Amino acid sequence: MSWTLADRYSLDDVLAVLGQGREVYALETQDDGRYKLSRDTAWQAGRHTLGAFRQTEPLKALFFPPREFIGRWKEEATRQPMPERIVYGVKNCDLSSLAIFDHVFLDGVVRDPYYAEAREKTVLVSTDCSGQLDVCFCPAVGEQPYARQGFDINIAETPEGVLIESGSGRGEELLRSAEQYLQPAGDDLLAAIEKQRARRYRELTEQSEAHGLAPGTDLRAAVEGAFGSELWGEFARDCVECGACNYICCTCHCFLLADGMDEQGVPARTKLWDACLYSGFARTAGGGTPRPFRAERLRNRFDKKFSYFPQVLGRYACDGCGRCTEACIADIDIRRVLKRAVDESSTLHAGSGSN
Amino acid sequence: MNQALYMPVAAVIEEIKDETPDIKTVQIHPEVEMPFKAGQFVELSVPGIGEAPFTPSSSPKISDHMEITIMRTGRVTDHLHKMEVGQELGVRGPMGRAYPIEDFHGREILIVGGGCGVGPLRSLLLALIDDLDLYSRIIVRYGAKTPDSIVFKDAQMHGWGRGDAMDVMLTVDDDAPGWDGHVGMITSILTEDYLDVHPDDGIAVMCGPPVMMKFGTDLLLERGYKPENIYLSMERNMSCGIGQCGHCRLGKYYICKDGPVFSYDEIRGNPRLWDD
Repeated sequence: MSWTLADRYSLDDVLAVLGQGREVYALETQDDGRYKLSRDTAWQAGRHTLGAFRQTEPLKALFFPPREFIGRWKEEATRQPMPERIVYGVKNCDLSSLAIFDHVFLDGVVRDPYYAEAREKTVLVSTDCSGQLDVCFCPAVGEQPYARQGFDINIAETPEGVLIESGSGRGEELLRSAEQYLQPAGDDLLAAIEKQRARRYRELTEQSEAHGLAPGTDLRAAVEGAFGSELWGEFARDCVECGACNYICCTCHCFLLADGMDEQGVPARTKLWDACLYSGFARTAGGGTPRPFRAERLRNRFDKKFSYFPQVLGRYACDGCGRCTEACIADIDIRRVLKRAVDESSTLHAGSGSN
Repeated sequence: MNQALYMPVAAVIEEIKDETPDIKTVQIHPEVEMPFKAGQFVELSVPGIGEAPFTPSSSPKISDHMEITIMRTGRVTDHLHKMEVGQELGVRGPMGRAYPIEDFHGREILIVGGGCGVGPLRSLLLALIDDLDLYSRIIVRYGAKTPDSIVFKDAQMHGWGRGDAMDVMLTVDDDAPGWDGHVGMITSILTEDYLDVHPDDGIAVMCGPPVMMKFGTDLLLERGYKPENIYLSMERNMSCGIGQCGHCRLGKYYICKDGPVFSYDEIRGNPRLWDD
């Protein structure tokens, strides 16, 4: 259902009610105008913001922690139940990335109970983007700067008013608990939001197109078609395989099971984020590896995102958040790589004459 | 799998047998029964040290203990080789896709092994030779570097316990005093001179080092085996074993959940299929 604020009340009133009894994750503006996700006990008016664009760190860390204790040798797994949580200001790129994690950790061979618990106990309050970073390119991967699904509650702010919508049964229930601050949204507001969304989508599309990536570009065909291209080797000359693109990526899900001893000297297992750019990632005992060259590992990252996931899940494992571009110390811009793949695959195909 | 996610169950080492100077067969008894099918693998861990994937080499018809044939070739296997009877290991599994034995009924089965790759093949063989009548013929071709490095030497030299009922032939890359068998690469005994087969409907199952599987597959295709009838063990860096951690991806597959047994038809065309 679609709501707006009742007279005399502010959005802060509603947000505070939604967060009652929950561990709160909200955005804070930093000195450079960027956002970081911070943990709190309640929504703090003035300090917390819904943010104009995504925060620096990926949302995945709340569901797939960088370092997760798994268990001790021969001990029954004991773990404190996770508190009920709420995340404010989730942007569509991050929200959409959860489809990848749901596929891996919920819908596969075995359901990961820790991930499942984190998903079940976390209320997601998304917001429309009202600005963009210069690395953003979500229209090129079929996304848009506002959420269509996957949220519990979505909030869109315009000068004409605030639109508050539920996207799940849980969201609907939560909004009913804040009913005194709300009233049904009128058609004018809905129309104003639609106009604003279209404008933001246009602006982001222009930014993507300026990098040669129009919405609807077949990136799977591009990456698969450019498999034999020299582009991977050329970009790999700058890559220092630090793995930052993997870690900061909102969809990268690979991990390592690390064995060691805990403080008491008991064998223990920890789950850690891993990075496919590392030379040891696919290495087997004896030293063999299917990807000995950095160029192959760089290509593998694109292959996984733009060929593997379209085959198994029908979508790219990239939501156009641009974090990898920001994090890369070698200034490798994912849009430049994709654009080269698009160009070269069409050239290769044109040259072969049979495709 | 029914144990806690990512955590192994304890398994005590019951017996250790030296197969070659760097290969041992370790028999373990998991504290929870762990029935498996030939070709499926388990994750074996040395507590506090690390974990690695292995396909059991014992008969899948025995479920209260399993044997695992381990070559010393890295950090985890170094530790495994130092362990003694009575000590405990961790084991998770079984995982992955087994050999489709039901599809083999009534057909001629060629088993090609190289080095330590005969481990998984032994498990398959023990399942097959219990019901020899179900298959038109079972043939084994095995290659090792030297006579000393032949794994399961006694069994292999005696037709896997079936004497002349089984067509078994061994070869070594390098000759040594006392060896009166064939000398040459495994591919040298897959030729018409040494292998009389019916490839049109025959099944070929191969497990060994990547380079052996590469040239072996090429030769079997040349001899007329159909890509869908050549089964390969594509073991890679399977870590979580349940299709989550991302290490063992091969094209659109994860070897841990979609393999490790694949028909050549399923995987041909993937780059660096043989780590070459």
